[in-house]
Amino acid sequence: MRRKKHLLFATYEDFDKAREAVAELKILDLKEMIVENIELYSPIEHPEVEEMLGHFNQPIQRFTFFGAITGTMSAFLLVAAAAQAMFTVQPQGGKPVIPLPTDIVIMYEGTILFGVLSTLFAFFLYAGLPRSVKKHYNPKVSEDHIGIEVQVQPENMEKVRTALQSNGALEIREVTQ
Amino acid sequence: MSNYSMKDIEWAKINKDVLASLESPRAAFWIVLAVCVTLVLCGVTAEVYQYNNGLGVALMDRPHYWQLYISNFVFWIGMSHSGTLLSAILLLTKADWRKPIYRFAEAMTLFSILTAAIFPVIHLGRVWYMYWVLPYPNERTIWPNFRSPLLWDAAAITTYALSSILFLYVGMIPDLAICRDNAKGWRKKLYTALSVGWMGRATEWMAFRKTYVLIACFLVPLAVSVHSIVASDFAMSIMPDWHITSFPPYFVAGALYSGCAAIITLFVMLRYIFKFEAYMTTEIMDKTAKLTFAIAMVWNFLNLGEYASIWYSNDMFEKEVLIQKFIGPYAPVVWGMLICAMVAPFAMAFEKFRHNMWAMFWLSLVLQLGMWLERFQIVSPPLASNHEPWTWAVVWPGTVQLTLTAASFGWFTMLFLIFCKVFPSVSMYEVKEMVFHRRRASSRDEIEDIDKIKDEVMRSEGGLA
Repeated sequence: MRRKKHLLFATYEDFDKAREAVAELKILDLKEMIVENIELYSPIEHPEVEEMLGHFNQPIQRFTFFGAITGTMSAFLLVAAAAQAMFTVQPQGGKPVIPLPTDIVIMYEGTILFGVLSTLFAFFLYAGLPRSVKKHYNPKVSEDHIGIEVQVQPENMEKVRTALQSNGALEIREVTQ
Repeated sequence: MSNYSMKDIEWAKINKDVLASLESPRAAFWIVLAVCVTLVLCGVTAEVYQYNNGLGVALMDRPHYWQLYISNFVFWIGMSHSGTLLSAILLLTKADWRKPIYRFAEAMTLFSILTAAIFPVIHLGRVWYMYWVLPYPNERTIWPNFRSPLLWDAAAITTYALSSILFLYVGMIPDLAICRDNAKGWRKKLYTALSVGWMGRATEWMAFRKTYVLIACFLVPLAVSVHSIVASDFAMSIMPDWHITSFPPYFVAGALYSGCAAIITLFVMLRYIFKFEAYMTTEIMDKTAKLTFAIAMVWNFLNLGEYASIWYSNDMFEKEVLIQKFIGPYAPVVWGMLICAMVAPFAMAFEKFRHNMWAMFWLSLVLQLGMWLERFQIVSPPLASNHEPWTWAVVWPGTVQLTLTAASFGWFTMLFLIFCKVFPSVSMYEVKEMVFHRRRASSRDEIEDIDKIKDEVMRSEGGLA
C-alpha cells in the first residue's frame, strides 16, 4: 500500500515573506529533521529559488546537444540514401553521388528541428508535465500570491504550521494524499 | 522617460486586463474581422476559378512564369522574421521591453508562415502535386532532388513553422494556466488541455526557463537560414539581377525590416482594439521604432551596395536590367519602393514622430507597402528583360493574382485576430516579471538616493563643524 503524504500548503502575498518562511523551515529541518520536502509555487520565475531550495538537476541541454547531433546525422542519412536510390535510376553524369555543399542545408535544418524537439521532450520530462492539477492548488498562485507546499509527518505538522504562520501566511491548507 | 515606467501596475490588474481582452474587444475588432473574412472569401473564389481554368487566368506565361504569387511568398516569409528577432534575440540579450509585445510578434511569425506556405501551392496550379516536395519517393522510386533550393525551402519552412509553433506554445504555457484558472465552459477545457497541468512550481519554472532560452538559441540561426534559402531560390539561378552573392543578407535585412514594420502596425492595432494602453506604452514604441530605423538603414546600405556592385561589374545583362528598372515600364514600382522603404523611415529619426502612435501606424503601412513593392521589383522586372530578348514582355498581374494577394492580407489578419481573441496576446507572467524587477530596481535606486542625501548632509554638517 502506498504511504499517505501529509502536506501543508501555505500562501503568501509576496515573495520576500515566502523566502523568510522557507529559511525558517530550513533551520527547523536542520535542528529537528522534520521537513520531508518543500515546493514553491509562484506566478513568475524567481532564480533565487535555487539558493533557497538547493540545486535543481535538470540537464536539458544534454538532450538538446544529442538531439541536434541525431538531427544532423539523420538528415545526412536521408539525403545520402535518397541520392543512392536515385543512383540506380538516373545516370549521374559525373555529378557527386553525395554532394556535401548542398546536403549541408538539409543537415542544418535537421539539426535545428531535432534539437528543438528533443529540448521540448526534456522540458516535459524534467518539469514533470503533463500532469493533472493538484486538488489543493490555489489559483491565486497564478495571479499574485506565492505558495509553499511542505511535506511533513502528521506529528510534526503543528511545528511547521507555526513556522509558516509566523512569517505571515495568508492561508494554510492541510492535505492528505 | 522613466526607466521604471509600468512598475506600479498591480499583478492582479495585469491578469484582469489581459483576460478581459479575450472577452470584450472594441467594436473595431468585429469590423476588421468582417472585412478580413470577406477578403478571404474573394480569395477562395479566385482560387477556385484559377483551379478550374488553369494558371493562364492569372496571366502567368513566358517569360513571367514567376510573378505576384512568388513575390507574396517572399513578402510573407519576410514578415515572419521579426517575431523571432524580437522574441529570441531580445530574450537572449535580456531586453525587458520586449515582454509586453513578444507574444503577438511570435503569433505574427506563425501566421505569416502559414500565409506564405499557401502561395507555392497556388503558384503550382496543379495543387494536388504539392506532396512532391516531401522527402518521399514516387511510384518510380525517384526521390525529390535535395540539390534544389526549392527542396531546401520546403525543409527550412517546415522546420521554421514547427519550431515557431513550439516556441510560441512553450512561452504561453504559464499564461494558459492563468486562463485555465479563470475560464469557464469550452475555454476552460481548451486551456486545461493546453496548459498540461502547469502550476508554477519551482521545478517547472527552472525547466521552463532553460528550455525557452535553448529554443531561442536555435531560432535565431534558423530565421537567418530560412530567408537566406528563400534568397537562394533566386541567387542560384543564372538570371540577371537574381544571380547576386549579396542576396541572402539583403533578403534577411529586408525580412527583418518588413517584420518590424508589421509589428508596429499590429502594436497600434492591438493597443486600440484590446485597450492595452497600459502595456503597449510610448516607451516600447520608441524602442521598436529605433530598432526598425536601424534595420532600415542596414537594408538601405545593402540595397545601394547591390546597385553599386551591378553598376561597377560592367556585366551588360545585369546593367541593362538595372537601367530598365529605373527608366523602364516597371519604374513606378521601383521609385515607389525607394520612396516608401528608403526615404520614409527617416521620419523615425525624430522623437516626436516616434511617440505619435497613429503617425507610426500609417508610417508602418507605408514601409510595408515599400517592402511589398521591393519583392515585386525583385521578381518581375528581371523576367521582363532576361537573357532572351525575343521573349521580352511586360505583364502586370491580373485580377486573379491581385485578388489572391488581397485575400492573403485578409487571411493573415483574420487568423491573427482570432488568435488574440482566444489566447492572451500580452504575456501576463513576463509583464509581471518586468514589473517585479523594475519595482525592485526603483526601490534600490531610491535607497541609494537617500544614502547619497545622507552622505551630503553628513559632509556639509562636518564642514560646518
